[in-house]
Amino acid sequence: MKYYARRLTFYVITLWAAISLNFFIPRLMPGNAEDIFRAKMARKGELTPAMEKSIQLLFGSDDQSSLWDQYLRYWNNLLHGDLGTSITKFPAPVSELIGQALPWTIVLVGLATVLSFVIGISLGAWVGWRRGTWVDGIIPASTLLQSVPYFWLALILIAVFSVNLAWFPIIGGYDTFMFPDGPVATWEFFSSAVYHGFLPALTIVLSSVGGWLLGMRNMMVSTLSEDYITTAEAKGLRPFRVLTTYATRNAALPSLAGFSVSLGFVVAGSIVMEQVFTYPGVGKLMINAVQDKDFALMQGVFLVITVTVLAANFLMDLLYGFIDPRARHNG
Amino acid sequence: MIRSKGRTRLLTAVALASGLTLLATGCGSSGDDGDKGSASKGDGVLTVWAGSQTPIVANFNPYAPTVLHAALGGVYETLFYYNKASAEAPTPMLGESFEFNEDGTELTITIREGVTWNDGKPFTAEDVVWSFTNDTSKPEYLASAEVVDPTTVKLTFTGPQFTNEFALLGASWMVPQHVWKDVPDPVTFANEAPVGTGPYTVQSTSDASYTIVANPDYWGGAPAVEKVQYLGIDANTSAESLLKTGKVDWAGMFVADPDALTADGRLGYINTPQDPTVLYTCANVDAGCAGAQTDVAVRQALNVAIDRGVINEKAFVGLAGEISPTFALLGRDDKWISPDVEKVSPQEANAAEAGKILEAAGYTKGGDGIYEKDGKKVELTLTSVEGWSDYNAAAELIAAQAKAAGIAVTASTVTWDEFSDSRQTGSFELIMGGVVGTSVADPFQIYRDWFSGEYTQPVGTQLESGEWNFSRYSNPTVDAAVNAAAATNDEAAKKAAYATIQTEITRDLPYIPLVINATQTFFDQKDFTGWPTEGDLYAFPPSWGSVSAGVVLSTIKPTE
Repeated sequence: MKYYARRLTFYVITLWAAISLNFFIPRLMPGNAEDIFRAKMARKGELTPAMEKSIQLLFGSDDQSSLWDQYLRYWNNLLHGDLGTSITKFPAPVSELIGQALPWTIVLVGLATVLSFVIGISLGAWVGWRRGTWVDGIIPASTLLQSVPYFWLALILIAVFSVNLAWFPIIGGYDTFMFPDGPVATWEFFSSAVYHGFLPALTIVLSSVGGWLLGMRNMMVSTLSEDYITTAEAKGLRPFRVLTTYATRNAALPSLAGFSVSLGFVVAGSIVMEQVFTYPGVGKLMINAVQDKDFALMQGVFLVITVTVLAANFLMDLLYGFIDPRARHNG
Repeated sequence: MIRSKGRTRLLTAVALASGLTLLATGCGSSGDDGDKGSASKGDGVLTVWAGSQTPIVANFNPYAPTVLHAALGGVYETLFYYNKASAEAPTPMLGESFEFNEDGTELTITIREGVTWNDGKPFTAEDVVWSFTNDTSKPEYLASAEVVDPTTVKLTFTGPQFTNEFALLGASWMVPQHVWKDVPDPVTFANEAPVGTGPYTVQSTSDASYTIVANPDYWGGAPAVEKVQYLGIDANTSAESLLKTGKVDWAGMFVADPDALTADGRLGYINTPQDPTVLYTCANVDAGCAGAQTDVAVRQALNVAIDRGVINEKAFVGLAGEISPTFALLGRDDKWISPDVEKVSPQEANAAEAGKILEAAGYTKGGDGIYEKDGKKVELTLTSVEGWSDYNAAAELIAAQAKAAGIAVTASTVTWDEFSDSRQTGSFELIMGGVVGTSVADPFQIYRDWFSGEYTQPVGTQLESGEWNFSRYSNPTVDAAVNAAAATNDEAAKKAAYATIQTEITRDLPYIPLVINATQTFFDQKDFTGWPTEGDLYAFPPSWGSVSAGVVLSTIKPTE
């Protein structure tokens, strides 16, 4: 029990520190939102005096209070579940923007991460099992795919499958020509969303499967030289049983730990994928918020990411304490 | 051998993957493939990209900085339309005519009769007064606005306001008093169902797009294109692909190889260069500028050492326009260019001339081929924003060209924040930057906002909102001429003032002119007709143009 209390205190302090950093770091960055906004409008050549005046009114309203007051207000709002209003996507509340983007990110990036893990681990186990044969050729092929810059891979796939062959849509999470009013709860909409998600998911899987595969294959090779594998083989167990229950199970452990971390980061979305496919998601909100100094949005997105990563770690900690009693005593 | 076997297996895997792909296509196409084509074409829906990115947030408030494009011109209108692509007189919109009094302190406007808001209420002179005098829109120089008779409004100013003609008549949105008087904070009002006089009304908004439909009671006659869908697209490359595959019909954006898009004949293309690209130089020692560029001879030498032809060809893929050192837009503002100054900046490098200028100013060439004076080499740092690839390339070219003329220029890239900060506070030597082109056929606004000493601050102090004189240039002759031009509506007097300004700025070169940026527009000429063309530039063509987009939308027609 003491172990769990200790872990809990640790996480509460970490959470407080993370949320406070989340408030201060954006404010330490150079540049200010108003200038950026003005210059952005000016580059479009449409900055009228009236527009300048409204930019001033919109941005200049909360500059008077001190940093400390702002910090207290930030906590107060946070505890009331109010994340503020986005300035660059005015007048949408930050919670609404994140709420809209999060399901798309979790489903697409989450599924792609799980798929990539499952494919990588099973392929890796197989490749490790058949080491030294022609299947080793899969490794350079998959690591090549991973080392290709993601956006380039995505652009190539779009050029081939979406533009030239016209098999897949070019942008969006669903067919905006068919559903100009936004998401609806129909079967057509669902299938449209699945159809639109295929290529983005494929690119994520293609570009991340290599890492899992390589790690798993190497673990597999070293596990296969363990004594208990030799014993299992000597006992005359069927090779398939040795592969699954003895080798793979043990070799997958380190990858599983890595997997829990990458699951935590799923909520951060995939910035480049969302940009290239104009896919609705959290990553894009984050990058736009950072570029345009949209503090409220930036804090909201970071908060969601921090909390999820911490929660994922906390769960893993609890799980570890449960699985491995040594962690409870030494931690 | 092992490798090649691996490859055959890989091929199998690829085949499998494409099999899955086909399967998915099969599933997806059952519902949408068939009617997708017709949704964007057959029933005459015009799909537009005006630069919006996802997620789209409904905001049709013309006073809000984050207003969606369709509101400006599509839903709300101004009194007159000033075509920034040509030198013609303003086109009457909600106004019929206007007249300044002798000294420019009063403006009398006659408004169009019989116009109704899209909620059925009539558009009145009271609405015009309200549009000028509400807290959000009221200009500081406006003393009063009054209704003279039901179709006449008189504005009175605190001083002569000839130069604000465009701001008043071409950029002030007419909003209905009966809706806006109850809005507590006009800047933060989202106005999701806007009441305007324009050719379109808003139908729906989603996170990925928004749709406007024709206003049947529009005073100019219901527009022929019944439905327009504006998309949110996050990357230029996606927009290019969508144009290519026929999903987007009208977009204004930079495309390096426009011919590839227009090859199949569906898309028409027009390039209307508008905004100057220049080298900002921190020019004024008295304001605190430091560095070799504060010497006018160095700026003059750089000006002739630059090969603008090569820069346009290599950095701007040959799409930029030639620039006039007077900052009047060539072609449109020709009548304002004084005959006593160079009309076009030199297009070829002249290193010998640059050397002559420097030597005349007392510089001598050092052993390394770089000029120096009093033991100090002519060394300059030229910054450009990282990722603005055309500017980065241009900066590299300038560095090489300057070196050939004996000036050491180091090109480096900075983040947007550093760029903004350095030009705001004046802590720079040279910056690759832009100048905002004027919205009317008159360079005045550039002279006042970018060159006059009243629109700048000493180095170390941030420029204030509305001030654009990053170079810190301050010249009493220019300031006096700017004030003289502002106080008159007489063309000859203005020309005289401009000639004075042009003589000074083409000699002092606080901004070294480079090129005029391309402004490209692509439009579907197969399914729609009536687009602005080189021959008939009735409106500024890009889809993001404010006011002008409304003019284009109410002019184009679906082809039979």
